[in-house]
This record gives sequence, C-alpha cells and structure tokens, in this order.
Amino acid sequence: MSKTSEYPSMKSRTLTLTHNIPISKTKIYWEGLKEGKVYATKCKKCGKVYYPPQVDCPNCITSDVEWIQLFEGNLETFTQAYLKPQGFSHYEHNYIVAIAKTAEDVKVMGWLEDVDVKAAKVGMVVKIAAKMMPDGFPAIIFKPK
Amino acid sequence: MRRVAVIGGGNSKFGVRSDATFPEIAFEAVKEALEDAGITQKDVELSAVGTVGSRLYEMYPAPLINEYTGFTSKGPIRVEAACATGSAAVFTAYNAIASGYVDTAIAIGVEKMSEVDTATSTAVGGRGCYLWEFHMFGTSFACYYALFATAHMAKYGTTEEQLAKIAVKNHYYGARNPKAHFQKEITTEAALTSKVICWPLKIYDCCPISDGAAVVILASEEKVKEFKVQDPVWLEAIGFGSDTGNLARREDYTSLRSARMASEMAYKMAKVAPSDIEVAMVHDCFTIAELMAYEDLGFCRRGEGGRLIDEGQTWIGGKIPVNIDGGLKAKGHPLAATGCSMIYELTKQLRNEAGNRQVPLKRYLALAHNVGMTGQYCYATILRR
Repeated sequence: MSKTSEYPSMKSRTLTLTHNIPISKTKIYWEGLKEGKVYATKCKKCGKVYYPPQVDCPNCITSDVEWIQLFEGNLETFTQAYLKPQGFSHYEHNYIVAIAKTAEDVKVMGWLEDVDVKAAKVGMVVKIAAKMMPDGFPAIIFKPK
Repeated sequence: MRRVAVIGGGNSKFGVRSDATFPEIAFEAVKEALEDAGITQKDVELSAVGTVGSRLYEMYPAPLINEYTGFTSKGPIRVEAACATGSAAVFTAYNAIASGYVDTAIAIGVEKMSEVDTATSTAVGGRGCYLWEFHMFGTSFACYYALFATAHMAKYGTTEEQLAKIAVKNHYYGARNPKAHFQKEITTEAALTSKVICWPLKIYDCCPISDGAAVVILASEEKVKEFKVQDPVWLEAIGFGSDTGNLARREDYTSLRSARMASEMAYKMAKVAPSDIEVAMVHDCFTIAELMAYEDLGFCRRGEGGRLIDEGQTWIGGKIPVNIDGGLKAKGHPLAATGCSMIYELTKQLRNEAGNRQVPLKRYLALAHNVGMTGQYCYATILRR
C-alpha cells in the first residue's frame, strides 16, 4: 500500500517480472522502428494487410508475407494521457495517444506530436514515423502533414 | 436447456478494503448469499470462482477462496474475462445447470485491487495488449476509453457535460447505496472541473480502484421447488460477444460491437425488445462507456446517448433507469465482483427489495451489461421474475 491506512498490514516479498519477448519473426518491424520506419505485413496469397504485423495469415492458414512500409494516415481518434502507468512515469510530457487509418486500410496506434491536443482534429492527415526514446524503447510518432 | 433461477445473492461492502484479505471479503458475500437462499454449502454442487487476480499476492487464488468459504471439493472452476469475469462465472454456473450437469451452482466474483499502488495497478490494467500498445504508448484503461470519447464527440457532438451528467446520476444513487465505494453526491460543475486523467476524461468520468466481492447462487427448477424458494428470479438469457484484442483493429471507436452482439443475442433468446426492459445495470467503468451502452443496448439510437441523459431518461422515473445502485462509477469496480454485483442488484430490484432505490416495475424484466476490457468481452444477461 502506498497510502497509510488505519488498519495494520505487512509487506509481501518483492516479485520482479521482466520478460524476454521473442522477436525473431517480427525482427523487420522492430529494426524498422530504429530506422524511423513503420512496417505492416501483407499476405502473399490473399493480399490481406496486417497491422500490427503478423507473419501468419489466419485467413488462408499460410505463413508467407511481404513487408510494406506505412507512410501516412487519417486520425480516427486521440487522447492525452495525464495518468502514467508504472514504466512511463519518467516521461515528463503528457503524451497524446492516437489511432490513424492508412490507405492500406489498417489502423496504427502512435504518439501524436507537434500539435496541441485541443488543436488536434479527427480526420487530420498525419505522417507516420518512428523514433527511439532516450530510455531505449521505441515509439511510433505521428506528426501533422 | 433447463430453466435456471437466481435463488440467492450477496455483496460485500465495496471500497478500499485494507481491513480484509480477498478470501475474507469473499466470505462476506458468500455468507449473505447462503442466508438469502436459505441453504448451506452442502446444497451447492459446483463453484465457479471469478477473479482477474493480477493485482493479488496469490497467482492461483481460486482454491484458497473456495476453501475459506467452505466450498472445497465443489470445483472450483476459475474464470477470467477481465472486467466481465463476474458474468463469465455466472455464465459458467448457468451452463452447468442448464445442461443438466448439476442442479445448484455458486458464482463467486472477488477482486482485491488496492494492495498495490496506483501506478502499478494502472500498468497491470493497461496490459490488455502489451506488445503493440502498452509497450510503446503507455496506454491505461482510461486512455482506451478516452479514445472512444473523443471519437464519439467528433462524430455525434457528444459533450463533456453530458458525460459529467452520467457521473452525477451515478453518484446520486451511490449516495443511497450503503455498499457503495463512494456515497457522496457530486455536481456537474465539480465533475467538469475535476483533474484530467486522459483528456477528455476527468477523474469523475472514471470508476475508482475498488476491492469487493459479490456472489450469486443459481438452481434448477426442480431445486427451486425443493428449496421452496419464494421469489426465484429467472435467468431468461445470457448473450455473449467479443471483439479484437488490438484496439487498432476495431471497425470504429463510437460503439462496442461485442455489446451489440451480446444484447441482440440475449433479446432474441428472451424474446423481448429493448423497450421491454424496465431497469438496467450497465458497465460504466467510464462515463463514455455508459453513454455507448445506452446506444449499443438499443435504449436509444446511435448518437443519441447524450440526449438520453440530458432528458433524464436513465434516472428512476425515466424511460429506462440505469445504474441506480451507483454503477461502477460510484458503487466501485472490483473487476470480477462487478458482473455478480449487477445480478445481485437486479435480483433485489425484481423482488422489490431495493428500498429507496426501488424502480417501479410492471413487466419485471431487467438487463445486465458487463463489458470486459474495451469490449474485448461482453455479456448481456436478462432476468425476469
């Protein structure tokens, strides 16, 4: 408990959970973010585009995809987060989380930058790129076109 | 399919329960439910224990809950469907009876959330889609629902004031519910000027982080007769629906498809229309969620949820009273307890036992709408007395 309480309590033993998440099948995506690029996958058999990218197509039960870069989209919605979860409290800015729809008919989540939340509008065209944050984690960045 | 009735219900006090552990809280609700049904544990054949449990110090809590409340050897089946866990436990118990597998079953929904700090709770809750959303963007549940609020406002002109009015209503009824987390009325102005959590949602648009338990006991028609139950409340239908795990894969952000699916299924099963429902408990984890529920459940057309609250139609005396126990917003939202608590409150309403929150009834038809995450799960349950 972070707050003091009128009731007695005791502390549990600390549990630390950090996962090693396999990225061998989506390496192109994660490497792409480091280069500022955002990739989706496209099934070579049925042509369906997947974002978030996936190498397995449940439509035709095949695993043969090509990687395509996403460049821009229309804002479908957004919010500015004042409440930050554990793991994000070191970010000083109140990041704007947004979703944009691309010409490939997929939707991408990203952080909207270079615009005030009150000036942002649903339907706005945004450029889709990526960057590495100083803490080493990647972020997808939307900027007004 | 056999008919299934609710024969007993229990609900612990909701709130920050630093006075008790999760089995101790479950005991409070189990005790009330057994006394309400007039039976003992030996009369119950199966226990479905719902708990999300991700904020607990235990990773496998169901056997401990079962043991502490006297149900060892009656299961348990542990059920998890995020914030719809309680309804999933009721669904599990219902199916076991409807199929003829057992004659009596208990659904126990319990959650302890306040033992970890808010930043940790937010991080656990935000892990609805870790790899593609939380990992990069620090999304919380307030953030997910705020995305729906922005889209609904942009498409239909819904206002922050209309959302605030939902909070005012639910706090009004919470103030009349001795089991509610918050028992204090608020004003629209206070709601509108409260701290921003995820713009456009403010703190009064958000449910609290609550501890609590709720329990329902179900029985077959034969057992209803055998136990001489005076006021059985029949589970007429349980509809279910779901949607994508990734929020970025939704068709739009102004409605929950899973809620439309679940309610359409339930209305069809029960052979009733939305206008037949006389009282509803809906999943108002955020005010925008209640407003979308008005539309998704067919209480008004798409885009007219704001007008419904403006006209006061969801207060007692209106067209369809909603969340007159305080809802998740004021009663509190101990995740897995919520679905069972909705059935508990509606059972009280249908038996005319809700005191100063009683809705006048003619058809004795009620609906519970319990959403998991941002519509990844939904259950719609129709009850009739």
